[in-house]
Formats: sequence, structure tokens, C-alpha cells
Amino acid sequence: MADDHSERERTRRKIHPGVFESQEQLWQGRISRREFLRVATLLGAGAATAAFLAACGEEEGMGGTEPPPAPTAPTTPPAPVAPTTPPAPVAPTTAATAVPAVAAIKRGGTLRCGMQIMGVDHPARFSWTEPSNVFRQVFEYLTETDENNITHPLLLESWEPNDDLTVWTLQLRPGIKWTNGEELVADHVAFNFNEWLNPDVGSSILGLWEGYLTPDGIEVVDDYTLRLNLAQPKLDVPENLFHYPALIVHPSFDGDIASGQNPSTGPYLLDEYIVGERARLVRRTDYWQVGEDGQPLPYLDAIEYIGLGDDQTAYVSAIQNGDIHAIYEPTIDTFQALKGNPDVVIYPRDTAQVRVLRMRVDQEPWTDNRVRLALKKCQDRQKILDLAFLGEGQLGHDFHVAPVMPEFVPMDVPMYDPEGARQLLTEAGYGDGLNAAISVGTGWSDIVAYAETLQADAQPAGFNLTLDTMPNQNYWDLWTEVSLGITAWTHRPLAVMVLPLAYTADSEGNPVPWNETRWVDEEFDRLLKQAVATIDIEARKAIMADIERIQLERGPIGIAFWKRVWETFNPAFQGVKAHPTLYHLWREVWYDPARDPHA
Amino acid sequence: MIKFLIRRFIFLIVTLFVVSIAVFAISELAPGNIARNVLGNTITPAQEASFNQQHGLDDTAVVRYLRWMLGSDWQAASRVGHPVRQIEDDRGRASWWVVPEEASVLPYRNFSPDGETMYKLERQPDGSTREVPLGDEVWQENEQGEMVYWGVDREGRAAKWVRGAGEEEQTLTKAGWTSVPGAPSDYIPLQKGLLRGDPGMSTYARRPVAEVLFPRLVNTLYLAGIAFLFIMPLSLLFGVIAGLNEGNWIDRLLSVTSLVATATPEFASGVFLIVVFSAWLGWLPGAVVLPGDTSIFERPQMLILPIATLMLVELGYVMRVTRASMVEVMRANYIRTAVLKGLPFWRIVWKHALRNALMAPITVIMLHVNWLVGGIVVVETLYGFPGLGRYILEAGLNKDVFAIEAAAMVMVIIAVTTQMIADMIYVYLNPRIRFA
Repeated sequence: MADDHSERERTRRKIHPGVFESQEQLWQGRISRREFLRVATLLGAGAATAAFLAACGEEEGMGGTEPPPAPTAPTTPPAPVAPTTPPAPVAPTTAATAVPAVAAIKRGGTLRCGMQIMGVDHPARFSWTEPSNVFRQVFEYLTETDENNITHPLLLESWEPNDDLTVWTLQLRPGIKWTNGEELVADHVAFNFNEWLNPDVGSSILGLWEGYLTPDGIEVVDDYTLRLNLAQPKLDVPENLFHYPALIVHPSFDGDIASGQNPSTGPYLLDEYIVGERARLVRRTDYWQVGEDGQPLPYLDAIEYIGLGDDQTAYVSAIQNGDIHAIYEPTIDTFQALKGNPDVVIYPRDTAQVRVLRMRVDQEPWTDNRVRLALKKCQDRQKILDLAFLGEGQLGHDFHVAPVMPEFVPMDVPMYDPEGARQLLTEAGYGDGLNAAISVGTGWSDIVAYAETLQADAQPAGFNLTLDTMPNQNYWDLWTEVSLGITAWTHRPLAVMVLPLAYTADSEGNPVPWNETRWVDEEFDRLLKQAVATIDIEARKAIMADIERIQLERGPIGIAFWKRVWETFNPAFQGVKAHPTLYHLWREVWYDPARDPHA
Repeated sequence: MIKFLIRRFIFLIVTLFVVSIAVFAISELAPGNIARNVLGNTITPAQEASFNQQHGLDDTAVVRYLRWMLGSDWQAASRVGHPVRQIEDDRGRASWWVVPEEASVLPYRNFSPDGETMYKLERQPDGSTREVPLGDEVWQENEQGEMVYWGVDREGRAAKWVRGAGEEEQTLTKAGWTSVPGAPSDYIPLQKGLLRGDPGMSTYARRPVAEVLFPRLVNTLYLAGIAFLFIMPLSLLFGVIAGLNEGNWIDRLLSVTSLVATATPEFASGVFLIVVFSAWLGWLPGAVVLPGDTSIFERPQMLILPIATLMLVELGYVMRVTRASMVEVMRANYIRTAVLKGLPFWRIVWKHALRNALMAPITVIMLHVNWLVGGIVVVETLYGFPGLGRYILEAGLNKDVFAIEAAAMVMVIIAVTTQMIADMIYVYLNPRIRFA
């Protein structure tokens, strides 16, 4: 969909100087092709242009060799590397990976996915991916970050930053119609920005823009042009526009996204939404994107989400019988149960999804960095990964930057060191041992295993940990409040997106709403602001090395491993791409009844 | 006999009343702040106070209890001066409006943009609304000397506007929680009350509790009803057979089998059944997937495994009680007399033994009806069945207070009603009660 339009763009649009800078780096082999594509599209070059420029680079700079492997592979530290093989589709590979020919695409069919149906009101207040998956079929984002962490325009036609990244001009795609017949214009988008930036709305999006954008900085230039005047340089604007609560709604939005009365732009229409039970979406006939066959997308007639409760046993039974076709966020147990099944295709993907061992630095004993460091030293990372996640992931370093993120700087994975931990505890005055309760949601079996492994391995160091177990829902009620706990954090494509969300303070010096540890570090903050304003990937990596080191040395969190995720699908559904965040981008998924084992 | 039944009925009403107070008190006293549950941890005290006011949570427990039982529309109607009623839109969603008696006046709601001028939102027959400004004469002086106006606001709550107060209230609008000039200064949340079938709004689903609870109850009654139809005749039959064959191999076989089945918890026997019949043999669905309102009737095979799981657990209880009771009766003198008299065996069993032997099982059976309806949380969770048990579990996890209260009351009503039915069956089976 983006290709024909980027083709046009390439000829008429000025290319951001940062693109050439990055191209230079690509030629010199300093960044990988994937990083170049990401930076170039970030700066508005358009996917085709970027691919073209990257190809030029390969011919001249590298003599047309294979594109370098993904940034993770060569950069993993030498010592305790995860022994896991890189993920590959597990079940019938040919069926899953074959690129469908145009003639092969069939229309029709209903995709039924097992997923919890949660209470909703304003999309900007979503704090779960599940509701966003239902409503991303109905409403749309300005941009879209694909499964390779590359961001493309969606409702936007293009974006263009000025040279110092403080003014971003967003160009809307003309001709997109709301279901009420009105055309999408810049005023509508401005309405959404004002919602996100209004503290009374209580959206997590506010944390992304805090200190950068105020309602005064939103400028409607003409019907299709919106300008964001930022207080400081910001690189990840396009990615932030795909933050999952950032669905674009019409200004007549009635406060309840499940009412079914709100005009929308997406490929499906909401037919029903019953909390705790099911949601049904039906195909819209006049959607603005066109499929391979020249007709408007989507290919499927309907999508149904069915909630079968908190426990995944029922979902596994249901997909084996063909009663549902996909399971949202299969657990490691579900993956184990289904991986040998010829009637289920599994699409794996390494992510920045993570279980964060978080300590509240405003509460004893975690106010003392020595105690925090001691607990971090008690993580036997490989053991935790093996026990909690059957080795399905990558090892972590106690800083919230994942190997799949382009700005990741490899460091040695800290070793399990109970002796060193005991010494630190003694220095901190806990020579006789330290009692602490670690809060865990029992719905996450890997978090429980993480906590149990830590409990056993921290014993020799003098930690007497008790597990304070509770249902996941209860953990979410307390997640910013508990003293010591393990919180599930979702994937974000860039480190500069997640760090400001969780480890910074607002303009008044109070920790931002999702700063669950209350950790605010002056040097970290200053470096982070620099990183967020740096296009040059090498320069940003240099800053990021310090950021990582600070969090490693005096941060509030332990990170033992980064998760791998899977999409589990009935093999009849084609065009499925596992997204690192398990976002359901299903416009182009189609159903081939001939491949349905249950048909 | 009539006197006995009337006495039981009065007892039933009193029980319900006492239990409703207990349920309400427990929900009230339970830890957890409703405003924080709904709005998150980051709300300010002012937002919390406003939320409590808008939802009537700042009133005394007695007022809230009465509102919960009897509703608040009549109270609101006396303030407004016109009846306040629910009107259903074409999608079947009910909302509250002021509905004047005179047929010529359209139903309306009110709002004020500035706290000086009141507006009326007239509801046209097609469901759309029209704004009509009201004159100064609508303001009425109250005892405190304020000029006030009572109406129904745009969110469907009875509300009091005070002229010139220019108050800014946190209120849930299109823009979320935001300050609005000219907002009302007092609210009565509107509901019809439990006695008229309206237990209030679910804070989690943001829809009336009744809207979700009723279909869940129907689902569970359907599942439990079918299970009941299989379990009770079978367990009575097996119990009688075992009792008549006391001590021989048939008795041993039935007793041991039922003991094993009953002693195995449902999460174990359920998983076992799923693995065998769903995963290996592929004969039966291992989960209850309901994509539509009528799916449960269209694909009854989905219910086979849940019912089988319930049967395995339940069969043993009733069977063993029946067996013991039967053994005891068969040893009684009057049975021996009947045998010596030369009556045919089937006649002794059918006419003399059975009636007496059924007294004990009836009590157990009726207690188990209650268990079947509300206690099958484990089975409902295992099979993903959207029933009352899972509803209570989820309401508890989400701290959805009004949903918990309503579901608890439904359970209590079922418990008390089944006991009433048990009493009536006793009367039929045992003449001593009838003539007492």
C-alpha cells in the first residue's frame, strides 16, 4: 500500500539531511541495513526511497554482499550467550511463509480469536493491548510500526521534521472518509492531540509528550497539514503516534468507544462488544486501502474475539478443535502444548517484552543502591530464562534497552554473584539478612518462576524473599504501589520510547504516572534528553552506552531476560505476521478454506 | 398444609431481607476504593470526591441501601416535579429522561453552559435531540435561599443546578475527566432498585449489571439444568440399586466407582476428559466458544464435556446418600413384614421403601441445585463457559462491587427458593409434615 505513494513522494519531496548521514554510515558499514531503513523511514524518506538508498549503499560500499544480519546477532556478548537458536516458524513452514500470488488471494471467511474482552471507555485511556487490538480494526493510527520495527505513515501521507527535530510537519492523506461521510482533516487530528495532552483525560500518551509538546504547540496549517512545535528535539514522533492508545477518533466522540455510534476510518465496523464475552467486527465495504485484487481491503468478512476467561486451558482446547483460529498472547505453556501440533502454525518473534524486577527507590530498603545492586546480583539469568521461559528469549542486563532495539549497545551480561551480593548487603547494614516480600501476579507463570528462582538464588546472599502472590488483576491494581514486584512491560520499538515513560519525572519534578520505581536520576535524565534528540545512530549509541551503564550501576530494576512471543494460528489464515507487541494488523490476512484442517 | 407453606414463604422473605443487608454490608465494608478502581491510582482527591458525589457514594449507608433495594427514580421524580423514566433507543440501550405526564411535552434532559441559563434537550420521536433555552422562571428558591433547578443531566443522572454558582465540576465528558462550568452541584444516580430488577451499573463493564448478569444466569441455568436432568435420575437409580444389593459385587462396583469419581476434583477430571475426548480422540469440543447469543443452543455438543465433568463429581454424593438411606429402610420392620406378607419385591421397593428412602436424598439434591448454579466456577473456568460462576469470579477480581452484590443476591434467591421447593416435596413425601 505504501509503495505507489512513496514512489510519487520520492520525486517531489526533499529528503531529510539525516537520511544521507545515515546512508553514509551504511556505506561505511557502521550501521546495518535494517537500522538504516529504520532511520530513513523515521525521517520521512518513505519505505521505497529508503530501500532504494540502501540498495545504492550496498552496491557501492559493500560490493553487493548479503545484507548484514539483524543487529542482535553479531552484538550479543561472548560470555553467557543464550544457547537458543534464532526463531524460525515451527509448524508447516512452506504453508506459512509462501508469498501468496495475487490470483491466490481469496475473500471471505471469519477469523475467530480467543482474547479477553475488557471494559473500555476512552481509547486514550487504554492501558491494555487487548482492547486496542479490537479497536485497531475499527479506528486507525496516524502511523504504523511494522513487525520489523520500521514505522510507516498510515493516516498520514508523510511526515517531515526540520533539521533540529523540533518542528514536525504531518501531512494527512487526503480522501480518507469517516463512516459518517466526512473527510478526515487536520482539525480532527488536532482534537485527538488535545485529548492526549489533557491531563484530565489521564492518557499514558501524555508521558510520551511530557516536556516536548503542549496544546499550544499544535498548529493546524491547512485541511491536510498539522504542525507540531516541540519544546525540545524529539526523534520518535512517528513511533509515538503508533502508541496503542493513540487511535484517531472523530471530534464527535461520545466518550464510549464501545457504543458503536462513533464515526471511524478503519477496515472493520464494530458490530457488538460484550465485556467478558465477545466482540464482533464486520467488514466495511468502502475502506480506503485497496487489496491485491483491486478491491477495497479487508479480505476477511468478519473478525470475532471470544473471551474464555483468564486461564488459557480453554483457549488451547478451542484452537485444537478449530472453534477458534488464533490465541492472543499464548503463554509459554500454551506454546509448549501447541508446538508439535500439525494443525497449528506458530510464528515466533524476539521482542523487547520483558518482566521487570522493580524496586521502589522511595521505600526502604530499596532506597539504598547497594541493596538494589545486591538483589540484581542474585539473578542467575540463564537459569531464570531456562526455568521461567524454557530458554525462549534473550538474556537481559538490568537496563531497559533490548537487543532488538536499534540503539542497543552490547555489554557483558552480569554474572550471578551471591558472594558480592552478601558483601553489599553487609555494607548496607543488613548483615543478618533482609526480609522482603516480592509481589507477583500468578497469572504469569514465568513471573512466578522468575520470583521462585530468585528466591532460591538470593538465599545464600542473605535475602529472605517471600512471594506475595495475587491474581494478575490485583497486581495491576497495585503495580505502581508495591515495594518489590515483577511487572510485565510491553515491547516498544525504540529505547528512547520506553525510558521516558518509566524512568523520568514531569516538568514539576514528580515521577511520571508510569514511573513505578519513582527512580529519577539527574545525569540519566540529561543523557536521555540528548539521546532523544540525536539522529546519528553512532552518536546515539555512544550516549546510550552511558545510559545503559547508569541504569546497570544504580538503576531501580533487574532484567533477567527478554521474551520471545508467538502468534498461534490455524494454517488456513494467510498473510499473518507476528508483531513484537502482538498487535493485530490484519487488514491483509485472508482465509484459504483448502488449508483449514477443521473445515 | 397451606399454613405450613405460608409460614415457609414468610420465612423465605425474611431470610432474603436479612441476607440482602448482610451482602450490602459486606460489600460496603470490603477494602478497596471504588473511585480508584475505576479511574486509576493517579486521581486527585477532588476528582475522587466528584466521582463519589456523581455516583451517590457520598451518601450514608442507609440511603445507599434503600436506593439499591427500592431505586431512586421516585425520589428524583419528586424533586424534578415530573416522572423520570427509562427510554430504550433502537439498539435496546435504556437511558433516563424526564417524561412529563402530558403527552404533548417531549421527554427531555437538561444542561447549563454557564450556571445562569438552563437548557432543555428535547428528545424527538426519532431519537435525536433539540436544544431549547429555558426562561429565568424555572429557577426555584429553596430553604437555603438558593435558586435551584432539578432535572436529568446529559449523563442520565438526576442533578441539581444552583444558579450563579458557576461551579466547575469534574465530570466524564467527551474529553474524559474534565472541568465543566455550569455543572450541577448535586446528583442522584438513577436506578430502579433490586426489587424492580435493576441492581445498578457495573463499574468495570460500564453497563447496567442486569444487562450482563441475566444472560450469564441463563447460560448457567441451561448448563446446570441439563446436568441436573442427567445427574439426579442416574444417581438415584444407582443408589437404589446399590442399596438393594448391599454388600454384593454390584454394590461394591457402584460404590467404589462413585467414590473415586467424586473424590477426584473437577479440575483434574475435567482436564482428563479434555485430554482424552478432545485432544486425543477429537470427538468433542474441549471448550465452550459462544460467538453469538444463540450459539449455546446451536451446538449442544460443546456442553457434553462440562456436563460429564459435573456428573463425575456430583453423582457420588447423591448416590451414596440414597444407598445408605435405602439400606436403612430395607432393614426396617415394616419391610420385613411386607416381605413375610408375600408382596412382590418390586412392589415393596416401589410402594413402601422408596418413598421413605428418598427423604434424605431430596435434601442433598436441593442443596446441590444451589451448588450447580453458583459453585461451578471451576468447571466454567476450565471450559471458558460464560456463566454465573465465572461472572462472580471476574466481578470479584475486578472489584466490581455492584456486580458482586447482584450476583450474590441471585445466588441467595436460588438457594432460598430451592429450599422452599424441597420443603414442598417433603410435604408430598411425608404425611407427618402435612398434618403437623
